[in-house]
Amino acid sequence: MFEAVAFYLFATLTIIMFTITVMTSQALYALTAMAAGMIFISAFFFILGADFLGAIQIIVYTGAVMALYAFGMMFFDTTRTLVEKRSNPRLVVVLGGLAAVLVVLIVLAPIVTTNINAHYPIDPSVGNSQAIGMVLFTKYLVPFELAAVMLLVAMIAGIVLAGKKMDKSLTLMADEEIALMHASSTQNTEEGAH
Amino acid sequence: MDMAFIIETIVKIVVILLVFSALAGLGTYFERKVLAFMQRRLGPMHVGPFGLLQVAADGIKLFTKEDIIPQNVVKPIFKIAPVITAATAFMAAAAIPFWPQFTVFGYTVHPIVADVNIGILYVLGMMAIGLYGPLLGGMASANKFSLISAARSAAVFISYEVVSGLSLLAPLMMVGSLSLIDINNYQAGGIGNWIVWSQPVAFILFWIAAFAETGRTPFHLIANDHEIIDGFGTEYSGMRWGLFFIGEYANMFFISFVIAIIFLGGFGDGSIAGAFQLLLKVSFFFFFFLWTRAAWPDVRPDQLMWLCWKVLMPIAVINVVITGFVMMF
Amino acid sequence: MHSEPLNDRNVSEQSAYYYVDIEEYPTTGWDKFKQVVKRTFRGELFVGLWVVMREMIKFDIHTVQYPKEKLPIGPRYRAVHKLLRLWESGYERCIGCGLCEKICISDCIRMDTKIDENSRKEVTEYSINLGRCIFCGYCAEVCPELAIVHGQRYENGSEQRAHFVIKDDMLTPLDFLTSGQQAEYPGFGSITPNESVTKTPLAY
Repeated sequence: MFEAVAFYLFATLTIIMFTITVMTSQALYALTAMAAGMIFISAFFFILGADFLGAIQIIVYTGAVMALYAFGMMFFDTTRTLVEKRSNPRLVVVLGGLAAVLVVLIVLAPIVTTNINAHYPIDPSVGNSQAIGMVLFTKYLVPFELAAVMLLVAMIAGIVLAGKKMDKSLTLMADEEIALMHASSTQNTEEGAH
Repeated sequence: MDMAFIIETIVKIVVILLVFSALAGLGTYFERKVLAFMQRRLGPMHVGPFGLLQVAADGIKLFTKEDIIPQNVVKPIFKIAPVITAATAFMAAAAIPFWPQFTVFGYTVHPIVADVNIGILYVLGMMAIGLYGPLLGGMASANKFSLISAARSAAVFISYEVVSGLSLLAPLMMVGSLSLIDINNYQAGGIGNWIVWSQPVAFILFWIAAFAETGRTPFHLIANDHEIIDGFGTEYSGMRWGLFFIGEYANMFFISFVIAIIFLGGFGDGSIAGAFQLLLKVSFFFFFFLWTRAAWPDVRPDQLMWLCWKVLMPIAVINVVITGFVMMF
Repeated sequence: MHSEPLNDRNVSEQSAYYYVDIEEYPTTGWDKFKQVVKRTFRGELFVGLWVVMREMIKFDIHTVQYPKEKLPIGPRYRAVHKLLRLWESGYERCIGCGLCEKICISDCIRMDTKIDENSRKEVTEYSINLGRCIFCGYCAEVCPELAIVHGQRYENGSEQRAHFVIKDDMLTPLDFLTSGQQAEYPGFGSITPNESVTKTPLAY
């Protein structure tokens, strides 16, 4: 009974939170609601007994990904509400509705055909993290390693992109040097445009 | 799920909440006293004997102060931000064993709210969410100092989560479990079995990261008084500000417990002596938080990031690799 | 150590000022690395920890718990004014000459006098506006009778601004005088301890 109560409670909360995320025009509401929604999703993992995944969900999505979003939001004034430009509201409704229907169909399909069963049911004899480790490093080893390599590539690319002018310090340079640097960079882009 | 379990859990939650709220208050008293003694002052002396009732006076002051919500803030976010800090601090306490199990009137009590088998991961996750208190509070405040503080808190938390996570990885590989009770039992043999002897580097790295995650003095950039006033707390008043405070001090206690349990043997074999040893270790770590505040200067934000990404994280990775090789061969 | 040469701000052999020997910042990566390692393992952080711990153990507390204990103030300290009485007779020393009123550079002293039934000049009102007084001490210096002096009372907390500064508040009470509690101003021009200031005789 507790599972049922918890499920419906967290399901409602999750839906409310993500609705706020989509509907609000205030960036800070969206951020907070999305972070809260991510935490509420982890509750489903806990209900299903997948403690490890639940904790990872909290750490990765709420602790890291959403915090990075928040970092990006530092660049604009979050205390103002955003005025969105809706050029074609009808198209938005159609596309959004289509996407929603598709998702519902995809999720419902296995349930309707009663074709739903766990490939790797929870084994009470080994811990949660051990079970995940076994699956990850046996059957899904190649995708796992590929994802790791992809993240590594992305990280190196990020460092290269961000570190282009890292050897220069604007606080240590004279004004003329800065002006010279700006001039040369704009010239480069203009040449590139030609 | 029987009734006794539910009642026991609720009682434990209430006890932890009350004890650590009170301890957070007392923590401020100890901090003021210790800092004062180290600076040849007396600290609070007027309220009660040796100023002991200063805590009560501060509490009354915070509760009865006017709760000011400035005009331009994002009101709902501004209001819940302090609650997030306090709540996540106490939620992290759910997976921490504060005391070995004991028997009262023939009923065995486990002084841990939820003995999940991923305890330490849960604690780290909750401390990661603790970031949202300063972050949302700072971003909703419509104040440039608060905004700087929010940016700093996001940067510091994300960076030092990496260090704390990677440094914990090596001891966890040795223990083979994420449960704090398993980690404690691994070191039950006595001082020789403490993980700090086999993982001294991880111990120091996690300790450093603990300073960053609780925002204590060498890394006190999030609310650095002489640069950004009170950071995210600038616009807060009354009990909302007090909740930030309770959250910070509760976090200090909990992370002291975590360090003591993971690296310094915890409560050992579970005897009463072991339990008091745990309290001693926790008090030492809490005292060290205050000690460094009296002794050390703050670092600059860029130095903090440099320390994290160029020094601590490589050392942590090397530590994990070496531990792996030692365990394999 | 060097107290005198501190006045000489030029860096030389005689003065206490000298150039601090700051090492050049390392430029190459290897030098930077060496500097970090050296700073990390030199244990300077522990010196700081030890210093504060030593102070805590010594417990050499320098706090003055102010309302309970007060530091002694200098004998020439210029706090709120007092009007003194003659030791022998208990009359007021003030002869109403008005010099203090005249010399007061912030114009805060006001006095009213009249000729009483003995044909002596009597001061009826005497007040000092403490909001304007700059405590320069000219009034005490100019007073020919040592009647107005600066007292030692520096705690000016009160319900009204007018407190301390009207004549009744400043004048030494008679019972104070008889119990010998009237303190003499010990500075230049003050009376010697055993000599009493006598009333100026009318017979001149």
